[in-house]
Amino acid sequence: MERPIIRYEKIDFLGEGQFATVYKAKDIKTDKIVAVKKIKIGSRFEAQDGINRTALREIKLLQELQHINLIGLLDVFGQKSNVSLVFDFMDTDLEIIVKDNNIVLTPGNVKAYMIMTLKGLEYLHQNWILHRDLKPNNLLINREGILKIGDFGLAKAFGSPTRINTHQVVTRWYRSPELLFGARQYGTGVDMWAIGCILAELLLRVPFLPGESDLDQLSRIFQVFGTPTEEVWPGMKSLTDYVKFKHFPAQSLRHIFSAASDDLIDLLETLLALYPPRRCDCTQALLMPYFSNKPPPTVGPKLPMPSNIPKLESEKPSLKRKLLDNLDGGSLAKKLQF
Amino acid sequence: MMPARIGHLPITNENPLGVSWHDSAWIPSLNPSNIMDYFSERSNPFFDRTCNNEVVKMQRLSMDQLQNMTGLEYILLHVQEPILYVIRKQHRHSPMQTIPLADYYIIAGIVYQAPDLASVLNSRLLSAVHHLQCSFEETMSYSKYHPSKGYWWDFKANKPGVSPFNSGQSAPKEVANTTKEEPSTLFQRQRVDMLLAELVRQFPLPVLSTTSNQTNGVSVKTENSNDKTDKAGEGNVNNITIKQEPIDPMHSEMTNGNMRQHVEIKQEIKQENMKPPPEKKPRNL
Repeated sequence: MERPIIRYEKIDFLGEGQFATVYKAKDIKTDKIVAVKKIKIGSRFEAQDGINRTALREIKLLQELQHINLIGLLDVFGQKSNVSLVFDFMDTDLEIIVKDNNIVLTPGNVKAYMIMTLKGLEYLHQNWILHRDLKPNNLLINREGILKIGDFGLAKAFGSPTRINTHQVVTRWYRSPELLFGARQYGTGVDMWAIGCILAELLLRVPFLPGESDLDQLSRIFQVFGTPTEEVWPGMKSLTDYVKFKHFPAQSLRHIFSAASDDLIDLLETLLALYPPRRCDCTQALLMPYFSNKPPPTVGPKLPMPSNIPKLESEKPSLKRKLLDNLDGGSLAKKLQF
Repeated sequence: MMPARIGHLPITNENPLGVSWHDSAWIPSLNPSNIMDYFSERSNPFFDRTCNNEVVKMQRLSMDQLQNMTGLEYILLHVQEPILYVIRKQHRHSPMQTIPLADYYIIAGIVYQAPDLASVLNSRLLSAVHHLQCSFEETMSYSKYHPSKGYWWDFKANKPGVSPFNSGQSAPKEVANTTKEEPSTLFQRQRVDMLLAELVRQFPLPVLSTTSNQTNGVSVKTENSNDKTDKAGEGNVNNITIKQEPIDPMHSEMTNGNMRQHVEIKQEIKQENMKPPPEKKPRNL
């Protein structure tokens, strides 16, 4: 029990959430900077399983998941009655970047963020796990420009036909219409809808559908996409919390996202399809023309960072590569002479 | 470089230089502060909506950010209130370095693309050539031929058969007619004479007697003499002879030149007529 306490040296206090306090710390063993998430014990009810349920989920799932675009759980240790989780240290998150008015998100930047998010989520879905709480705040970014999906407190295995899930998941603004109508059986579509909302937010730099209540959320959705009919969404009326809405005509996404290219509009339209089975999954999304068309996604080190975080020196590797290229060119020329 | 620029335009396969755009709802309220908004209307074919301006606008950021971006952008280049605005499309490489791609001018609310130099030159050359061709076709329609008289100019299409070479009786009517028409300048006529003479020289009329050749030359010159009568206003004098022409002190040089050419032509034709036998002989030998 003594060893882990010595292993992580607290550097800074990062933040406090409902269930945990997060510190920036240094791993003495590896000299790496890490984030230590100290789980609060919480009320007796929350701790009835012996440990907070969200922490348990994170430990359970993340131990088995390894992907460049998922936050890595490096270690778990207990100290007295506390449990602490050790994660990769991430400098910032997408919410901070979206809200930073000194940053312009170029089409290339947006594409890079989307690719990394979709790749991480694709891996997650392939392992039958729903994240269920995707929002810009949970898309963490380090100074190398690598995006990792974080906060698995609401993540859960999906796919069992008999399992009843709660619909009170996902922060409201990113919640899909089927969840808002109280669906208890759902799939990857809830995450895809959230991705669509995040993409829209990257383009607009404000939340796309900032509903003030669950009903307001639905009405905002329908004001953009049109109130669905039974033809558009078969079985909609049989959902538990179904409410009849005033008829809204659909708006053109082209007018809302005025600078978006056509291939990007196509992606948005499939991510934000009202009828869940029509929504694409991550693999389909990544195969869409948007991701292979110009402009190319921005490379990690060139992605914008909030001004208070010093950027990595990106010149060195590129210089090195240039030299290597030159060497290659030189050797090639020699070969040609023979 | 210039054609490539036009090719890069995302508008359509249609030539952007032949297109104009306007939105009449906007026109009364145009001013320097909203002209860029007007230009960025979705229906404007000159506006590429994936440009940096639109990216910044969609993200609700300050337009000052444009300086720090790279890529396509539009700037308001020149304002001449209340009617003329010039907008430039450019590629920004750094805050200091931009490469202009095209200029657009909005005059009285209507947007046009300013043509590049190559397009202007192409267009002007084409129209010049077109007009030249038209003038030749027009000229051709006035040339008349009769086996007994040879070739002559007939500028009165409604009076076929009446030629300036006719006898003095028909002269007054002719003059009256010519005064009504827009008189061409002496220079123009002489040029035409020269060009025609050149043509005649290049494509000699086949097997024409010397008399017919002379008639041809003379008829052309009578045309000249008519010019002079028009200019001088001495409409009554019609039967001016060839010899009188060089006397004109103003245009003596030109006329002399003309004369010489005509003489030359005759000589050449004669020479050609004469020459072939000696040429052929050495060849045969």
